[in-house]
Formats: sequence, structure tokens, C-alpha cells
Amino acid sequence: MLSRWIDRHEKWVFTFPSLFFVVIMMVFPLGYTIWNSMTNWTLTAKTPTAFIGFRNYVQMFAEDPRFLQSIVRTFAFTIGSLIFQMIVGVGAGILIDSKEYRGRKILNSILLLPMMATPVAVAMVWLLILEPTTGVANYLLKQIGLPVSKFLSGTNTVIPTFILIDTWEWAPLITLITLAGLASLPHDPFESAKVDGAGPLQVVWHITLPMLVPTISVGALLRFIDCFKTFDIIYTMTTGGPGYASETINIYTYQNAFYYFKFGYASSMLVIFFAIVLGTVLFVTYTRKKLEV
Amino acid sequence: MTQKIRKWVGNAVYFAIVFLLLMLFLSPFLWMVYCSFKTPIELSKLPVNWLKGLTLDNYNKVFVQQNFFKFIKNSLIVAGGSTIFGLILGLPAAFAIARHSMKKASMLILVSRMMPGITFLLPLYIMFRQIGIVDTYLSLILSHMLTGLPFIIWLMTPFFESIPKDLVEAAIVDGAGSMTAFLRVVLPLSVPGIVTASILSFTFSWNNFMFSIVLATNKTRTVPVAIYNFISYASIDWGGLMAAATVITIPILILAITTQRYVIRGMTAGAVKG
Amino acid sequence: MKKLCLLIVLVLLLASMTAAIAQDKPFAGQTIRVVLANHAWTDAVAPILSRFEEETGIKVEWESYGEEQLNQKLTTEFIAGKAGIDVFMTRPLQEGANMEMNGWYQDLKDYVSKDAEYDFEDFTEASRSAVTFNGTITAIPLVTEQEILYYRKDILEEKGIAVPTTMEELYAAAEALNDPDNDFYGFVARGQRSPLVTQLSAYIYSYGGDWFDRDTYTATLNTPETLAGIEMYSNLLRNFGPPGVLNMHWAQCIGIFNEKKVALYTDASSLYPNLLDPTKSDVADVTGCAVFPAGPEGSVSYDITAWGLAMYGESENKDAAWEFIRWATSRENSLYIQGEKAQQLARTSVWADPEGIKSFPADWAAAVAGTINAKSYDRPLITAVTEARDIIGGVVVTAIEGGDFEAVADEANAQFQSLLDLEK
Repeated sequence: MLSRWIDRHEKWVFTFPSLFFVVIMMVFPLGYTIWNSMTNWTLTAKTPTAFIGFRNYVQMFAEDPRFLQSIVRTFAFTIGSLIFQMIVGVGAGILIDSKEYRGRKILNSILLLPMMATPVAVAMVWLLILEPTTGVANYLLKQIGLPVSKFLSGTNTVIPTFILIDTWEWAPLITLITLAGLASLPHDPFESAKVDGAGPLQVVWHITLPMLVPTISVGALLRFIDCFKTFDIIYTMTTGGPGYASETINIYTYQNAFYYFKFGYASSMLVIFFAIVLGTVLFVTYTRKKLEV
Repeated sequence: MTQKIRKWVGNAVYFAIVFLLLMLFLSPFLWMVYCSFKTPIELSKLPVNWLKGLTLDNYNKVFVQQNFFKFIKNSLIVAGGSTIFGLILGLPAAFAIARHSMKKASMLILVSRMMPGITFLLPLYIMFRQIGIVDTYLSLILSHMLTGLPFIIWLMTPFFESIPKDLVEAAIVDGAGSMTAFLRVVLPLSVPGIVTASILSFTFSWNNFMFSIVLATNKTRTVPVAIYNFISYASIDWGGLMAAATVITIPILILAITTQRYVIRGMTAGAVKG
Repeated sequence: MKKLCLLIVLVLLLASMTAAIAQDKPFAGQTIRVVLANHAWTDAVAPILSRFEEETGIKVEWESYGEEQLNQKLTTEFIAGKAGIDVFMTRPLQEGANMEMNGWYQDLKDYVSKDAEYDFEDFTEASRSAVTFNGTITAIPLVTEQEILYYRKDILEEKGIAVPTTMEELYAAAEALNDPDNDFYGFVARGQRSPLVTQLSAYIYSYGGDWFDRDTYTATLNTPETLAGIEMYSNLLRNFGPPGVLNMHWAQCIGIFNEKKVALYTDASSLYPNLLDPTKSDVADVTGCAVFPAGPEGSVSYDITAWGLAMYGESENKDAAWEFIRWATSRENSLYIQGEKAQQLARTSVWADPEGIKSFPADWAAAVAGTINAKSYDRPLITAVTEARDIIGGVVVTAIEGGDFEAVADEANAQFQSLLDLEK
């Protein structure tokens, strides 16, 4: 009986627990945030909390250059990281795949480490390495005669440094996805290209890469969301500094909520933040579908 | 002859590049492990005096003074719990979504992945306080599932899609209910995917910092938060910090090495179908 | 009958004995939750905690967090209500005004006044006024600190430069010692936006500046005096500081100092173990301490109560909580914590006792004792402290980068004023 009932409603019986969990865990926080976003709830203010409509949103865009800058910065970091780790990740994947030898398994294990390691722990290590005066990175650069950098301590170098760190952490994921994609590709196009006398670079450019696109784009989308939300490493290493040079939306929001205790204002930022991510993901999925058709 | 030399040179260049690449990815870890064996004074000395100032003191701090065993246990419980519950909820959902192409349901679950974590901090704390589970593992497990569960579904849906429909239909025609078909036919075929999903969900939870910082109490403090024990008001213990970082990454390192075959096979199924 | 009598006597005896024991341990069976910061004070108290538990029968649930995490944790728990916290560590200057306004502190006035033996008057007047907000005693002062000058004795001696006592001498010495080609720098101090503000304070005070006028609530970030202090601080860092000073908190400053790469350093006195303890520092034997250099207004450092021990207003075990605070900050324990563990506490009697100052290095103690005429705050004393610090820090960051900081200061002053307007 029960089994028959389950069969009939399989679609919902199977998904209900997950949906229930997600909805319960999301509805209250989301509703709470949206409600707060329309109040001036600030712990440090003497005035009682009141409903103020959309004034937070107006203030954010009209009177808060720090917020607007944080949006630009977040996109710069996200796009920079994405481009870098796609190039490094896919490049490394194709390179590793081009030869068969013993030890490939060890290679894969090593690739897994940066993304599996705890970001907070990793951030501490990078902090030690990248210290401009006492860190080992600048020491090595000097030894081989390259110019030193301020890395996380320069207003112009901090975002590029975070891009490098994020690339170090996540390019291996793209590499693994690439390797997986390559393993599943059909052999025929490569055979015929060889017969046609195409060089290895031409094969990569004209055959391998186009065939990899669907595979990699999944990884890219996931990486986009996570890059945009990057928190741990920035919080641990600079908390948005020097000055405000690495203050992303996430960090600025956290500052507003847990340092300034402006919960109302921070909530309205979260709503905008969420809207940006959602919008971008929808846009990407939509255009991808169009392209596939 | 020249052919041979060219091949040899080509190989040498290839392996040099691969080696360099690997060193780039590996060196921060090596540096971390090395620094964890140095005394505070020697730790930041440059040029490095490789054999001077080596000590086990930092590990003494981690395990004896700070009792990291407790934090590791906490992290194991939370990461294990959120993964197991995530699988119990996520696998059937992914199966149904795959079988019925439920775009809307999968979108809803993906949305929870897109919400910035900060959104949850205060509301979840208030919610958990109301139902009285703030000081328990359950509060951490539930919050970590917010990242783990959507990931499991996201990863498993294409995996289930790749299982031939006929197999499932055949099982159902044979008189098994869809629940039985799922448990007896689909799940055994999906072991590599499940292992992957588990490992990654476990890792996400193990590494989670933001939820733990607000929701964990002294009893339930997990390792990423515990690492901050080495930073105090007027002193920072880099040696202890590096030892703690090493201790935290070792379980993950072991996990990665022992299961990498599954991880990569699982990734194939997950990513290629996209 | 006799037997019964005996039994009754026995029972009575037993009962009175138990009562006596209960009298000894009036709190037996109670548990309090104590939330503290990762701090040397916490480390000093942890090992003797069992004594308290034995004496009183109170079980102490003990947890500690990093400085910022602690504030966030406490705030989250307090907002959610019924936090189940009894005692917590707090920074009067940072969150004192705000937490007091939100009613999270238990006023300790009655507790300290009914307890003559405890002798609250023994705490320095400055520290007592630091923990008092609107007449409420929000916490018991724990550790105090001042801004002082750390310097490399050997380097100054080698170059024949006297220990700077004025701003001009400080600047000249930093200039003379600066040698970036050889990776050696004249001066270092905090350059991170928010952390730098507290160490900037003594500079602007010594030039006669301040954050705002406390009578009229008028921001004074762009007055000539304040700007002069900012200019001195940022010029020192820009011209003679190590690269990357903008990401430096005290930890990075100390790292560089201990790597023998810098000669002069101004920061909080509480940091001295990092520089003067030979197990932590290579330059322990050649590091000197001096009173903060004088500006036109003399040497006006800060003398602050960095941490206090507070009771949660909604604590359900207030008497037990007070028992703990009383014990932890008692004269006896203060003598132990300051004398043996070298923490800078606030009890006058402990400072007067030779046992109480035996662990302090001589010139450090002299520098601290020489810090007179200091202000009791190192950041603006308002509820929105963090926001104010960011606003002020932004001016200094601009100045260190060589930007038009006077224009930025005007802007910052207006922003700061609007914060002040909310507080009037």
C-alpha cells in the first residue's frame, strides 16, 4: 500500500525532505533579512528601531561610495580569479593529460590539496609567506633578482594577490574537471585531426577546447558563485584592508553587521548581494541554454 | 638518434613544467609543515637556517595545552553528521529531480547555495536559541547542511541522469517499488558519485568558518575556529598556528590521497554531463 | 528510649555539620558560564581556577575567544536574549558605551559598595572612571595600558643618538637611522585602518588635538592640532616605515622589530613581552622602553583600561557570578597575576607592593610610571566606536599613501560629526 502510494507520488516523496529542510532553513532567515532591510535597526543608535521602507536601499546607492566601490571590487576579484583559474586549470589539465606515466595518481592527490585544505589555515600560511619584509616570498623574489611586491599590504596589489591565492586554491578543481572531461571525450575527432596533419596546438585549440566547454562551464558557474562570496581568506588576511582596498561586498556587509552593528543596513546589502548573484546565475544559465539550442 | 634526443628533451621539459607546477601548489603546505617545527625566534629568520631551532614544542601546545583532540572530535561529529544527513535527504531528491527533470526544485536548492552566508548567521542563531539547540552539535550540523545538501544534490543529479533509464524501469516492472528500485539498483550503481559527494560535503563542513564562528560554543568548537586560539590580545603564536594548521589539514590530506580514485571518477560523472 | 535519644542527637549533630559545610560553600552545586578573551590575563587565571572551584563549590564553565570574535559572539547572544552567560570580559573603550546603552551590563555598584574587604577604591581612579558609564559601574577594571616608545638600544648607541624625548627628536632619529637599501627602517607603528587609531591617539593628544569636544559634541578631526598629529604619525610611517605598513597590526610591527629591521616603534605597553622575552625575541636584551615623546603640549599618552570583567544583566546566578569576579580581581589574586604573571593591573596597592612589580623590566616600569598627564581614552568614547575608527583610520591611510589627507580629513570630520549627532 505504502509502496504503491510512494510510487504514485515518487516525485514529491523523494524531494520533500530536502525541499522542506531548505525552505525551513531559508524562509525565516530570508524573511527576517528582508524585514530588517526595511528598518533602521542599529544597536549603537539611541533611537528606537523603526520601519523606514526602502531608505536603506536609497542610501546604499546614493550616499555610500564605499558600498559602490565594494561592488566594483567584488566583480574585479571574481572575474580576475575566474579568468586566471580557467587558464591555469585548463592548461594544467591538458598538459597533464598529454602523457601517460606512472605517478599520475600522486599528481592528482597533490592537486586535491589546495582546495581541500581549510581556507582559514591556508590563509594563515599565506599571511606568513607574503609579509613584505619578513616573508619568504619577497626573499625568494630578491634571490632570483625579481622586483619585490607589497602583496597584501599595497592598495594596488592586494586584489591581484587575492586573485593569485584564489587561483592557487581553486585552479586544481578546474584541472580535475578538465582531466575528467578529457577522459570522456570521444577519440574519433582526434584521430581524424591527426590524419589531417594538425599540430598538437591546433588540436587543442580547435578540437579539445570546444569539446570541453560544456564540462568546464559547470565548474566556472560554481566558481563564480563561490568567488563572489569569498569570505574566509579576506577576513583572515586583511579584513578588507589596506584602507578599504580589499573590501568586497561580503566583507563590507559583515563589517556593517558585526562591527558597526547596523543590522538594518547590512540586511539591505544582503538582499542586493543575493539579487546580484541570482541575477548573474540566471543570466548565465539562460544564455547557455540559448547557445546550446 | 636525433629523434631520440628530441623526445628526451621534450620529456625533460614536460616533466620540469609539471614539477614546477606541482611545487607551486605544494610549497605553501611544505612551508607550513616546516614552520610548525620551528621555535618562535627561528621561524621568521631569513635566510632560512634549515636545521636550527627545530622543536616539537608547537605540537605540544596544540595537543596538550589546547587539547585539539577535542576540537578534532567536534569537527568529525559535525562534518560526519552533516554529510550523513545531507546524503539521506539529498540522494532521493537528486534521484527524483534527475528522473523527472524537476528544474524548479533543483533551482530552489541551488538558490540556497547562492545566498550569502551572513544572511543566516543572526536568524539561525535566534531560531536555534528558540528551539534550544544552540549548545549542541545539531545546530552546527543543520547549518553546515545548508552548504552540503545543495552540493550533494547538484553533484548527484547528473550522476543519476547518466544511469540508463531502462535499468530503473526494468526493476520497477519486475514488481519492485520505486523506493526499492532506488535502494537496490540505483544506489549500488552510484557508489563512486556518493563517495565523491560525501568527501566534498565532509570537507566543506570541516573547513566551514563563518557558521562555526557564530554558532559554535566552547563545547562544540570546530577546528577552523580553534585555530584562532593561537591569536590572543597581545600575542600571536606563529609556531603554534602553523602546527594547528598542519593538524587541521592532515585528516583532509589523508582523505584526499586515500579516496582520490573515487573523487576523480565521481567528478567525471558530475561534470561531463553538466 | 535511650537509643532513640542518641539517634536524635546524632541526627542533629549530623545536620548541623552539614549546615556548617553548606555555610562554607554557600554556592555549592551552582554553575556559572564565564566567557573571556584570548588574553594573557585569561592564561594567568586558568591554572588557579580550580582553587576557586574548591573554595566556593561553584563550577565554572570557561570559554575564550579571539578579541573580535568575542565581541561578535557576545553581541549575537545578547541580541537573541536569555544568553545564559554570567561573567564576560569586555573592552570598556570599545564596546562599553554601546553595551551599557543596550542594558547588557549588570550595574556592579551595590556589589562593590557592600563589600568593604574587596576595596573597590583600591583601583586607580582613572580605571574606575573608565568602567563607569552614566553612573553605572559596568565592569571591574582588569588590565591597563599606555602608549610608550620601544627602541633598539644598540643601534641608537652605535649611531650616537640619544633616546628621543620629543617629536622632533623622534623624527630626526628615525630619519638618521633609516636605511632602506640595507633593509633597515627608522620607524614602525600600526598602519591598518582601524587598529592604528588607538596608537595615533597619543600623537594627536601631544599636539593638543582630540577626536571631538566632549562638551559640545563637535568633531575636531580637521583642527590644526589634530592634523599636526596625523601628519607626524603618517610622515614617520611614509618616510621611514617598512614597505607594506598599511597591512600592519601590532603583530606585523613586532615581527619586523624582532627581525632587527627597525629601530623605533611606538605601541601599547602591554605588548612588551613580545619584545623583551628572550624566548620570543632575538632583540630582548637590546630593546629599551621610554616615555612617549613630547609634542607642543608635552607628552600626552593614553592610560586606558583595556579590559574589564563584567556581569551579564540577565545572569541567573548573579551572586555566584559576583563571587567569581570578586575572587578573580581580589587584592590577593591581583598581586599574584601582576607579580608572577606580569600583567599590568589597576590596583594601586599592588603597584605599591614590591612583590607586585618584581616581574617587570626596569626601564619598561619606568616608562609606564613616567606616563603621567595621560588621557583615559585612546579612541573616541561613543557608542559607534568601530565606525568612528574606520572614518579616522581612513584619513591616516590617505596620509601614509601621500594623498591629500587634509581634504579627506574635512570629509571625515563631517561623517564623524553625523555619528556624534546621533549620540547627543
